[in-house]
Amino acid sequence: MFVDFFYLLRKVGIPVSPTSFLRLQKALSMGLINSIDDFYTGARAILVKSEKYFDLYDQVFAHQFQGTELKDPSEFELSEVVRALLDEWLKDPKVLSDALGIDEKDLAKLSPEELIQYFLDRLKEQTEAHHGGSKWIGTGGTSPVGHSGYHPGGMRVGGVSRNKSAVKVALDRRYRDYSQEGPMTPSQIGEALKRLRNMVPFGPKDRVNIDKTIYETMRNAGEIEIVFDRSLKNRLKVILAIDNGGWSMDPYVELVQTLFNYARAQFKDLKTFYFHNTIYDYLWEDPPRRSKPHAVNELVRLDTETRFIIVGDASMAPYELMATDGSIHIEERSGKPSYERLKFIAKTFPHSVWINPVLTHYWPYTPSIQHIREIFPMFELTLDGLEKAVTQMMRKN
Amino acid sequence: MREENQKKSFTGASKYVLDDELASIVNISMALEMPLLLKGEPGTGKTMLAHAIAEAFGMRLIVLNVKSSMKLIDALYQYDTLTRLNDSRFGDSRRDVSNIEEYIRMGKIGQSFVSEERVVLLIDEIDKADTDFQDDMLDVLDQMEFDIIEIDKTIRANHRPVIVITSNAKKDLSDPFLGRCNFHHIAFPEPDMMRQIVQVHFPGIEKELLNSAVRTFYRLREIKGIEKKPATRELINWIRALRADPDFQVKALVKGEVPYLGVLFKKSSDYIVAQNAVSRFRI
Repeated sequence: MFVDFFYLLRKVGIPVSPTSFLRLQKALSMGLINSIDDFYTGARAILVKSEKYFDLYDQVFAHQFQGTELKDPSEFELSEVVRALLDEWLKDPKVLSDALGIDEKDLAKLSPEELIQYFLDRLKEQTEAHHGGSKWIGTGGTSPVGHSGYHPGGMRVGGVSRNKSAVKVALDRRYRDYSQEGPMTPSQIGEALKRLRNMVPFGPKDRVNIDKTIYETMRNAGEIEIVFDRSLKNRLKVILAIDNGGWSMDPYVELVQTLFNYARAQFKDLKTFYFHNTIYDYLWEDPPRRSKPHAVNELVRLDTETRFIIVGDASMAPYELMATDGSIHIEERSGKPSYERLKFIAKTFPHSVWINPVLTHYWPYTPSIQHIREIFPMFELTLDGLEKAVTQMMRKN
Repeated sequence: MREENQKKSFTGASKYVLDDELASIVNISMALEMPLLLKGEPGTGKTMLAHAIAEAFGMRLIVLNVKSSMKLIDALYQYDTLTRLNDSRFGDSRRDVSNIEEYIRMGKIGQSFVSEERVVLLIDEIDKADTDFQDDMLDVLDQMEFDIIEIDKTIRANHRPVIVITSNAKKDLSDPFLGRCNFHHIAFPEPDMMRQIVQVHFPGIEKELLNSAVRTFYRLREIKGIEKKPATRELINWIRALRADPDFQVKALVKGEVPYLGVLFKKSSDYIVAQNAVSRFRI
């Protein structure tokens, strides 16, 4: 019974398992489901395990039981994505009006539905992947829309990548919550980072050590001898080095800020440094990078067990990384290329990672990212990426 | 037991307004004897549902508040070595020191298994624990038994408890976990539903206050740039605050004033954003 329904759900991409399908049959045979409404809610609770798919489920259900037309799977994925994109854009109407090439005032008159329609029409006109140039959805180039950010006023459109068509990438957005576009709240970052800890005894001796107590009591011929220990607290030392220079990091400021705020609340022993693009002779303790320099050479004085986390997009001209006078700041001319400096840091702190707000699948197109990946294990600044970074940092060797 | 379930079906409790959809999901889960996983915004009544089920069926509620440092064994049982040591030294208790079983204390899951009658087991905020904990726990709940290694005894559930699991996580739980639960996402209630909920909490509330408070509340939820939107819990506390204030006039709400904003917005950044937005209401 309802086998078609089951396969249709699978076809549109809802991960329904045979076990859960059997369970639904059981519910049916037990007489728990007596009406189409019961079936709707019951089947959903049993088969669909995430609210992400509820909308899709509704559409399949309507198709199967009410005979409405089922759109091509890619099409309703797309419209959902477009809506998500627009949501993002609506936060900044100016950028949106630039992108669609309509006046801001006219834009205000359009209803959201009209906007989505307009956007979809424009998207359909575009039949092939488009690179460079000045057409409005494309990659790189001078277009104000797109990811690569060569346009100074450019904005970040989730997933419009360098070498996939917008439609293709749109389909990838099924995993929104894992991607950057999903809201990364401090509590979520906390979830990802919570395993980043080093428990050491700290504070008053207020915890009974049971094993030792028993041992000492035995030694004492049964006269109870209670042994107290200090309780374990997280005393992990963390250095956070943040790239806060230049417009290439601008789109990620909010994201990095969230990470930083969490780190400050969580780690008792946290040092924060700032740099621009990459690290040369100095890191800076003040965000404007002017008054409080900290020589990179001085870092050796710190505990090598410190977790060194660098947050930056690692995107720069190759000479900035490789040339002996690569720094764009005149006072940093010690003759050592940044590449060497980074290697030095990686060697000093074995538990170091580079967290990159640029998503992984863009990395192969930026040479400086490739070079830096040779030095530091690099992870993207998403929930998944953070989790992997934490695992890397907590490795014993 | 099954017949009994079919006779009694869940229709809500004195302080819980239930929509039909959720009611049928609860009933199906109880009949299939599957844990019910609830997700949804904080403050949409995920935890309250378990309380309501317990109240409606007159069952005892056992709450396991999951903590990040928690190990599965803590939820199952604890071997109280210190008391045993104390007893062995002083021998003034009636417990038999050579019988380890007397020093086993049941954890929350253990309690729900050994209970004489069927209970409701609420596992709150499962997302706080790591994935190993979650998967292992589901194994125990699936098998309905666990071993106490100290005394080499298997504890089997007398009655399969009604299990409600809540999660706040945006991220999905692991696949094996999801495979063993029924799932429901509690959407934020519509204004009509919300009015009913408020009425359940404040029977006899003035119509005018109810309507303007709910309207203002939904307006506040729409403010852009808020990290933690006010939820049902905040609304109820807010109305309580409004009613407690003898100087409060319902007209103020209509005019766009929002007293006690701090009850609704609890993060200082949100509070400032909301305050700015509210000052614009009045114009």
